[in-house]
Amino acid sequence: MRITLTVNGDRHRLDVEPRRTLADALREDLGLTGTHLGCEHGVCGACTVLLDGEPVRACLLFAVQADGCGVDTVEGLATPDGTLHPLQEAFSVCHGLQCGACTPGMLMTAAHLLAVEPSPDRERIRAEMAGNLCRCTGYVGIVDAVASAAGVMAWRPREDHD
Amino acid sequence: MNTDHVPASGTPVRRKEDTRLLTGRGRYVSDLVLPRMRHVAFVRSPVAHARLAGIDTTEALAVDGVHAVVTGEHPALASVALRAQSALPGYVETDQPPLARGKVRFAGEAVAAVVADDRYLAEDGAEAVVVDYDPLGPTVCAWADPAGITDPVHDEAPDNLLLSRTFRAGDVEAALAAADVVVDRELTTNRHSGNPIECRAGVARYEAADRRLTFWSGTQVPHLVRTQLAELLDLPEGNIRVVAPDVGGGFGVKAVLYPEDVALCLMAIAMPGIPLKWVEDRVEHLLAATHARDHRYVLRAGFAADGALLAVRADVWCNTGAYSVYPWTAGIEPLMAGGLLTGPYKLTDYECTVRGVATNTSPSGPYRGVARPATVFAMEALLDSGARALGMDPIALRRRNLILPADVPYRMPSRLVDDSGAYEACLDRAVEVFDVRRWRAEQIRRRDAGERPIGIGVALYNELTGLGRAASAGPRMPFRTGHDACTVRVNPDGGVTVFSGVTSQGQGLETTMAQVVADALGVAYDAVDVRIGDTDESLWGFGAFSSRQAVIGGGAAHLAGGHVRDKVLALAGALKEVDVADLDLRAGQVHVRGQEKPIISLAEVARVAYLQSDRLPEGFGPGLEGTEFYDPIRGAFAAGAQLAAIEFDPTTGAVRILDWVCVEDAGRIVHPVIVDGQIAGSIAQGIGGAMYEHLVYDEAGNLSTGTLLDYLMPTSGEIPELRLDHVSTPAANPTGVRGVGEGGTLGPAAVVAGALGDALGVELDDLPVTPARVWELAGGRP
Repeated sequence: MRITLTVNGDRHRLDVEPRRTLADALREDLGLTGTHLGCEHGVCGACTVLLDGEPVRACLLFAVQADGCGVDTVEGLATPDGTLHPLQEAFSVCHGLQCGACTPGMLMTAAHLLAVEPSPDRERIRAEMAGNLCRCTGYVGIVDAVASAAGVMAWRPREDHD
Repeated sequence: MNTDHVPASGTPVRRKEDTRLLTGRGRYVSDLVLPRMRHVAFVRSPVAHARLAGIDTTEALAVDGVHAVVTGEHPALASVALRAQSALPGYVETDQPPLARGKVRFAGEAVAAVVADDRYLAEDGAEAVVVDYDPLGPTVCAWADPAGITDPVHDEAPDNLLLSRTFRAGDVEAALAAADVVVDRELTTNRHSGNPIECRAGVARYEAADRRLTFWSGTQVPHLVRTQLAELLDLPEGNIRVVAPDVGGGFGVKAVLYPEDVALCLMAIAMPGIPLKWVEDRVEHLLAATHARDHRYVLRAGFAADGALLAVRADVWCNTGAYSVYPWTAGIEPLMAGGLLTGPYKLTDYECTVRGVATNTSPSGPYRGVARPATVFAMEALLDSGARALGMDPIALRRRNLILPADVPYRMPSRLVDDSGAYEACLDRAVEVFDVRRWRAEQIRRRDAGERPIGIGVALYNELTGLGRAASAGPRMPFRTGHDACTVRVNPDGGVTVFSGVTSQGQGLETTMAQVVADALGVAYDAVDVRIGDTDESLWGFGAFSSRQAVIGGGAAHLAGGHVRDKVLALAGALKEVDVADLDLRAGQVHVRGQEKPIISLAEVARVAYLQSDRLPEGFGPGLEGTEFYDPIRGAFAAGAQLAAIEFDPTTGAVRILDWVCVEDAGRIVHPVIVDGQIAGSIAQGIGGAMYEHLVYDEAGNLSTGTLLDYLMPTSGEIPELRLDHVSTPAANPTGVRGVGEGGTLGPAAVVAGALGDALGVELDDLPVTPARVWELAGGRP
């Protein structure tokens, strides 16, 4: 089936089988391997991307369901000149990542959280990030990073990091 | 320009890995795409134990896009078997085929492989393979009566016993007879596993013209994999390149050469020029990647009236699963259990019989902490029971028996030599940070007020890290994992490239090795680039296990950096006609000691070494690099203490962690944030094992927790804020570090179980501590 996806602002026309997942379309057809697959049954959250701004599991959606939608993936977070998004910066400083397998999903979930709730407290961050599994960090650095990025982003105009 | 050298070690420099991993530009095996690549899906047995009566591949081969269906009888595979070897007396060697041959021994074992144009088509093909199973009687429990075995897992071991060993010191019966108090415990621990977020993955490519095999694998042990592949595939070792690029977590699960890996390589050799890719999904991972910690402990301990621990007698059964894991053998868990059971406690009279028992379940293998999360649970249970019987404070009883600094080097009853003695220092600091008195007061207040009870749990542990050749002798395998190599190369432009034998699955080894080399050589951290995980680049490394790489790989990096520093200074001295003894290399500049202005830069020395041989002084050859090995011979014991306050709701069984403190002695610390990250992550995995994670088989050998909806790993909602602190006693190795990757996992089972006992006055004999179990123990009725 012919579909159109706008990924990180770039429009792509794809011809996919109806059964192809959005995650595979991103990873295999578009070469955007930043979106990771951890369980392929919707639990771990590693494949989280934003579909028209809302977080979704790319492993549970078929690519055809995203036809005509905008998709934001981890590759779109940093600016084209390589400047890291405040969340990426905070994840590095706070050691919110180790192996990096859960990281793209964590970043996209956190990006959505801070877009809708600019100043969540730690308890709120823990609750909201609980849909994403991390096996390395014990979540300490992740919660620190989201809290820290929220602080940084509160001091910047929105368009800087959108 | 500031030419003072600021040491990189001890500071939280930015991780070299972070930018690519944060921007979606990591290089994982799962991401790899090669020209002409085809995809592999395995057909897995749905039954635990059965003879293979026939495999019909006709329909599968008819699926569009399917190129081949391979079974265990395929000529390319039929003569190959993995055979984990050990010279331990009584160890029964058994074969593990790359794909099942003759029979299947666990549900999930691969019986066929389908090669197709993409993974969807490969899975279509796998579904179309028809396998005829002729059922055999399954064994699931490792401590079931052997009389009930109708069909042994392996014919070579009619009683399913693959290994048994008795550790003996002193006279345990006499010591028990002399004890004032004797306590008995019978404990079982819950099977669980590492479950890294990236499952297993491999890409194999064979070039027939020059007989070269390249195997990209998410492995923790690329050099070991190369050696083993060379043996199994009958290829010269130099013709095999194993590459472990970015790896999405390992925790021991990926420190194994799996039959699927071997099958993939054998199939690639049979299909030259066609790269074959296999990416495991989570359901396969839960079924067929190694499990761990399915143990039973029957224990008796004797104490003197003053609390002195006099004797421990233990019988231990470890569920080995269907195969003796390659190359670590069925001994991996039982030998560790018997060797480290007594932990940081002084003891002279000890007898412990450990067994590795084959069953029709997924093989057990290395998992972070190997056996010790279970043995610490067992030992601390004995101490908690002892404290109750003696009417002593549990912390005071532990303190009474700790190996102290004056005792080291302390020969444990298993004859391992403990060089730490920092246990009391860790305990003291943990008690202070945790504020035991505050929590005891809160406990009493709640009791008086009729509020939900809380308990205080405590665990002390020692961890043998960075095992050298002597310490790694125990399992009597055909290799000793004591050493790693590191090459430090100064490039013609003065930049530094390090080829280290370490591997990383998230531990930040690129960063740690760069810090060590920067300081040993005398350059800025940013000037050092580290290459790891490629057997064509680095000379040698055993890989990531036993919390060994900071100690051993770090030692090699330090020595290699120092070696090259000496070469740079010698050449600089000869070029500038200055006595080398007066020279110093700091931040990439050579100085006469005490002088601000450098006499020559490292870049210029390098230019001479590579490009201007006309300037080379008499006696100097071209090039500027050095390679060193390091082996600590014994190892470095790390010490740790964990304390927690946990609330238990007797009405619902709900468990809530209110405070968790961990103090570890990691020796000298290279990167404080990475070290804390290792400790926090390992505690979280320990809490997972203590409270949530359980791989459950039914009596027929079906895994009933086969998805992440059933196998529960803790989230940010369950793991509490962790309060970490340190004591630091540098170890006797080049960098002074002690390994830190595993220690955190050792405490939580003991802490949670101990807290439950403390809160409700009950003894918990099995794990995990689930709400249902708490409710039951609190007197709840169904």
